[in-house]
Amino acid sequence: MMLRAENLFKTFGAFQVTKGVSLEVPAGLRHAIIGPNGAGKTTLFNILAGELMPDEGRILIDGQDVTSFAPDRRARRGLSRSFQKNNLFLSGTVRDNLMVADIVARGYGAHFWTRLSDNRRAHEKTSAVAEQVGLTELLDHSVSELSYGAQRQLEVGLALMPDPKVLLLDEPTSGMSPEETGRMLQLIDDLPRALAVLLIEHDMDLVFSHADRITVLNYGEILMEGTPQEVRGSDIVQETYLGGKAQ
Amino acid sequence: MRNLINFRSLLAALTLGALLISWLNAGYFGMEILAEIAILALLAMSLDLLAGYTGLVSLGHAALFGCGAYAFAVFTAFWGWPPSLSMAAATLLTGLIALIVGSVVTRVQGIFFIMITLAIGEMGYELVFKTRALGGDDGLAGIPRLDLSVIGVDLNDPGVFALFLILLVVVCYLLLKRLLGSPYGAILIGLHDNAGRMRALGLPVQRYQTSIFAFSGAIAGFAGTLSAQHTMFISPQLLHWTTSGEVLVMGILGGLGTLIGPVIGAALITLLRHELSDLTDYWGLWLGLFLILVVMGGKNGVVGWLETGWNLIARRSGDRKSSDRSANDAAG
Repeated sequence: MMLRAENLFKTFGAFQVTKGVSLEVPAGLRHAIIGPNGAGKTTLFNILAGELMPDEGRILIDGQDVTSFAPDRRARRGLSRSFQKNNLFLSGTVRDNLMVADIVARGYGAHFWTRLSDNRRAHEKTSAVAEQVGLTELLDHSVSELSYGAQRQLEVGLALMPDPKVLLLDEPTSGMSPEETGRMLQLIDDLPRALAVLLIEHDMDLVFSHADRITVLNYGEILMEGTPQEVRGSDIVQETYLGGKAQ
Repeated sequence: MRNLINFRSLLAALTLGALLISWLNAGYFGMEILAEIAILALLAMSLDLLAGYTGLVSLGHAALFGCGAYAFAVFTAFWGWPPSLSMAAATLLTGLIALIVGSVVTRVQGIFFIMITLAIGEMGYELVFKTRALGGDDGLAGIPRLDLSVIGVDLNDPGVFALFLILLVVVCYLLLKRLLGSPYGAILIGLHDNAGRMRALGLPVQRYQTSIFAFSGAIAGFAGTLSAQHTMFISPQLLHWTTSGEVLVMGILGGLGTLIGPVIGAALITLLRHELSDLTDYWGLWLGLFLILVVMGGKNGVVGWLETGWNLIARRSGDRKSSDRSANDAAG
């Protein structure tokens, strides 16, 4: 199992945001988390990534218990994430962004005397990921001048740079045009099969057509978990989340 | 972008040219001012690494500067070590102290970082101020200069000493420029931009921040050993937070995160202070007005203004070239 979360609990004051959430994502699986606003989806991601410490429960990456690890240490264990709000290096170009991610991912940040511009391997990796997320033509553009959609693509590109084992994508298509959304979906479909992907998504059509498994969260609790068919057919999900509108 | 980097190299060359021309024309007093500029330029560049590139604004940098000066004074005047060894030892010692301080202060961010560096700096100031063995508020005198007579250089000559310091500024600038073009340099800029994302990507953020704090501190300590040799007398004022503030102002005036900006800022403020104080008792007022004018434009100091101007000119000449080309196309 690439990612395993066991019985996670988290409380802010009197407010229980995560109540006994467990998850298992094996390599190659596309696992989606859905739920209404405030269901605790992003909180769960923050717990998995190490930005928040759970009050109870365990998190394992590729069999190793990482519950006590800080975010950077989890990242070095193979967990990578994209953010719901673009979280980029705004002063540089697309290339600068991907290059710095390469330096961190491959751990040569202490090299203070080699010229970064001479690093052929880093340039190749950067070009490859830029190609993957569709930013090849924008490589030397300043990130602050990119369209929102292109920034979103870079957000995912940064998360892909480390060649992670587990990839957490927080609403990768939010705010994108239908065209950009289509490209992002193609990208997610084309990700290496060895990768375990956990994604938060609002677009139901997208979730039902692209996820292998779905977890439905409501008020911090798992309402149900199953295949897209099972979730689509469930009365309880229809009632609480889809509002009974879906056929 | 490439255009701007080249422009900064051009600015650096022009700054060096201006310093050398001043040196050729300077009298005794002028040499003293040039030496002062060079030392402050080294200190301001070291602070730029921290505040401008990494985004860690320290108000305790002068304490490290003073640490280098006092360590050098103790090693030479008290213990009789040769100045060359004392310079190396004082730089190393300051770097070590900065490493320890850095590992503490990098636990907090933003305004808290400014406050804790200020507090630790003031502790250093108080310690020196109250320690009789270090001369207390009287300071220390009788500090020798580096002896380069083996290669026929007499650093006791003010002109030779000033040129030696300018040379050190050039060497330091080139070394730091190389450092900033390395993967390590890219990490520093990334930390300034978005330390949270760096952590999410897997960077042990605090370890890197501590390392640059230590390195920057070592350069400040090195500048301190030169300051002690320049005046041959040192006082606790070197460590005071107002000295840190002044160096920070030099960086802001010249342009933080540009490396050459702090050098220009050090030169401008030192010059203005000397020139204006000859003209008027209200020199501080005029200096303040000048600062406000430079900073109000929302540009990154003097370097930011010059870059804006350079881009305007480059765009105009670019337009002309492309219109020439279209004229040629039309003719062809």
